[in-house]
Amino acid sequence: MKQLPKIKDFKAPEGYFEHLPDQIMARRSSRPVIPIWSRYAAAAMVILSIGIWVLTQPEATTDPYLALDSEVNLYIESQYWTAEDILSLTDDSGIILEEIIEEETVFGNEQWIDEPLF
Amino acid sequence: MNKFGDQEILDLVNHPSTREKGFKQLVVSHQERVYHLIRRMVIIHEDADDLTQNTFIKAFKYIHKFEGQSSLFTWLYRIATNEALSFLEKKKKRFFLPIEDYNETLANYLDHGILLTGNEIQQKLQKALLTLPDKQRLVFHLKYQEDLPYQEISEITKTSVGSLKASYHHAVKKIEQYLGED
Repeated sequence: MKQLPKIKDFKAPEGYFEHLPDQIMARRSSRPVIPIWSRYAAAAMVILSIGIWVLTQPEATTDPYLALDSEVNLYIESQYWTAEDILSLTDDSGIILEEIIEEETVFGNEQWIDEPLF
Repeated sequence: MNKFGDQEILDLVNHPSTREKGFKQLVVSHQERVYHLIRRMVIIHEDADDLTQNTFIKAFKYIHKFEGQSSLFTWLYRIATNEALSFLEKKKKRFFLPIEDYNETLANYLDHGILLTGNEIQQKLQKALLTLPDKQRLVFHLKYQEDLPYQEISEITKTSVGSLKASYHHAVKKIEQYLGED
């Protein structure tokens, strides 16, 4: 990468940064005020929806893929299969390795996005 | 308007009579870096503008919880990267479009955008970056473009330095491969 130049930044429209602070301040002061009653109404809707969802769920059935997953996990946990065995069973081990890196990075799952930042 | 340091901004924000001034200073001091980071991720100016504004609005909302364990810049970058990644995630899920379709939209913008700078090699590099997964692209920008130390990127992304190094290494390999294909 040494021979590649730095990537030039995209241009912002003329005068954009001069006006942005005022725009943000204006947007901040015009935030809509949510009435208290609407928060209770929203909470009631969520509880009602969860109730309906729970009552209308069909009985759980055994998924053959889930059963297969637990069988595979059993082999791994009992150390009957090693990581190399698993990789050798796939067509493209590179993809699996990338997935593992993706998962192991904290921001590899969506929780990072929703995680409280503060 | 002069740019203020972290402590000056926090002092202003902590007093009700100067809070608004403190918020404005926060924007003035960091707007360009925050905008450019977001713009590199979402490419389109209108989206970057919206997300930059959201970043600062969120910062205002939660600044009372800022404990000063990192710099304001690192803290703002963390909010900005979350905003950009969440936006891209939603954009790609919307209307059940496959990821490639949205990347194609961004690539077309690179071809026809009127606010773009650079020559052919720059465009090629930008397109090469679009072939990376978003999070890898983010790590690449923070490391290669901004030259931030891994430790600081680790604070922004709350990811281990080891994973970041692996991610950056993969990104570089893919870009070199993409550029070598032409």
